[in-house]
Amino acid sequence: MSLEQLLESGNVPGKANLSDEDLARLVRKYRGLQKKHERDQAFWSATNENLRIAYERLDEQERELARTYGIIQEDLAVASRIQQALLPQPSDKMAAELDVAVYHKQLTEVGGDYYDFFNTCAGNYAVGVFDISGHGVSAALVMTYLKAKFMTILEKHDSPKVIVEWINNNAYEFLKTVKKYATVNFVVVDSKAIRYVSGGGFGLLVSGAGSTVFEKRDSFLGLRRRAFHEYELAFRKGDVLALYTDGIPEAQNEQGEDYTVRRLNELIIENARRPVREILDRCLEDYTGFRSKDSDDVSLLILRKKA
Amino acid sequence: MAKRKKATDLRVFGATLQGFAQACINLNIVAGAKAENLLGDIEITGWYPFEKLREIERVVMQAYENSAPILERVGMEMMLGWYNFGPGKQIIKRGVDFLHFQTGSQGYASVVNGPEELVGSFNLEFLDEESGRARINSTTPFNKDLERGVIIGGMSSPGDLDFIDVKNDENPQVFQIEFA
Repeated sequence: MSLEQLLESGNVPGKANLSDEDLARLVRKYRGLQKKHERDQAFWSATNENLRIAYERLDEQERELARTYGIIQEDLAVASRIQQALLPQPSDKMAAELDVAVYHKQLTEVGGDYYDFFNTCAGNYAVGVFDISGHGVSAALVMTYLKAKFMTILEKHDSPKVIVEWINNNAYEFLKTVKKYATVNFVVVDSKAIRYVSGGGFGLLVSGAGSTVFEKRDSFLGLRRRAFHEYELAFRKGDVLALYTDGIPEAQNEQGEDYTVRRLNELIIENARRPVREILDRCLEDYTGFRSKDSDDVSLLILRKKA
Repeated sequence: MAKRKKATDLRVFGATLQGFAQACINLNIVAGAKAENLLGDIEITGWYPFEKLREIERVVMQAYENSAPILERVGMEMMLGWYNFGPGKQIIKRGVDFLHFQTGSQGYASVVNGPEELVGSFNLEFLDEESGRARINSTTPFNKDLERGVIIGGMSSPGDLDFIDVKNDENPQVFQIEFA
């Protein structure tokens, strides 16, 4: 039996079975294995040491990440409080003439939906609802930028068309630079009527047995330098005005079906005789029962003319 | 074998560079996107600045506090690839053939080119098959731990040798080889 066969069989041979040459080869093989073992040991030792260092670094990086995450969370909490503080309450004059119910929920700490109440230079009041592209801090910063612009132009003008066009022309370059745009629904309310401009926003006026869906032929803010259209609708005592962003109508259920504008508008019309808070609650109840998860900011404003 | 062309700077043959990178990947020294980047644009028949090989070498040396046994293993793994998937089987039949192949630096000369003073040599200076001893002198720009692995890997690839030991402790450029 050769040395290879003996080694293959695993049997321990009696000394007498091995030739001197076999013994010599056995020694060489043993020394070869010893060398291989030394090399393997050196390799695995270096590898293990590397693993230990890698774990230590990972641990340190995790701690650093946690520290950084904590700082970002604190900043976001502050940003969220600032953004909430910037969202308005109706003025006393406005509250005397309108019942107002608002639902505003952001997907993240700070969001892209924005609504505002303004007083115009002609003594009317205005309501704006906007959806800034994207979410988060960048959208919130654009919101503060737009708010400042509105405050400036409202001191000089009362026409929604003039106001929105001025905002668009002034903000166009900035929005293009920061790669943002915003839907706009801007409504000026006077004693007899509402005048509105709608670029991508959603609006519904329920008046008695009739209802009017907002025309929305115009472009978003920041997309094009174009003229906007202004529309006027009578606004009488008891009429209900609903303004909202795409958060509710584009929400999807488990089957991937959209909630739709139609469903929301029908619900508002159906409940239009109820107090504004109730209309809002019914809409939210229906929406939350339908949608599988929150996937966008949601803003819904219900206003009723009471005087 | 690679065609040689005159180069003004030090260049390494694509197959060698790829073999080095592939060995690092096989041994999980680099992984993921870093591994893809290593192999990404290497043509095996092309010639590349030697610095590219140095870059990979640096990746290993930065990753390991004790990189010597790792580079040695990379050298062995490279030669395993050269033997099993490259031209190795055609060139050597026995472990000792790998030593013969280094006579006059012919093996090394096929994978590195450039100015002579930068290329250096990897030359078999002494070989006694009877006693199982040999000596290679290396003045190449390659890492010497890697070269030690190349010798061990090259000699052990055919599988006929029972024992191989390569030492360059006293002088990193001189490899004292024992085999049986």
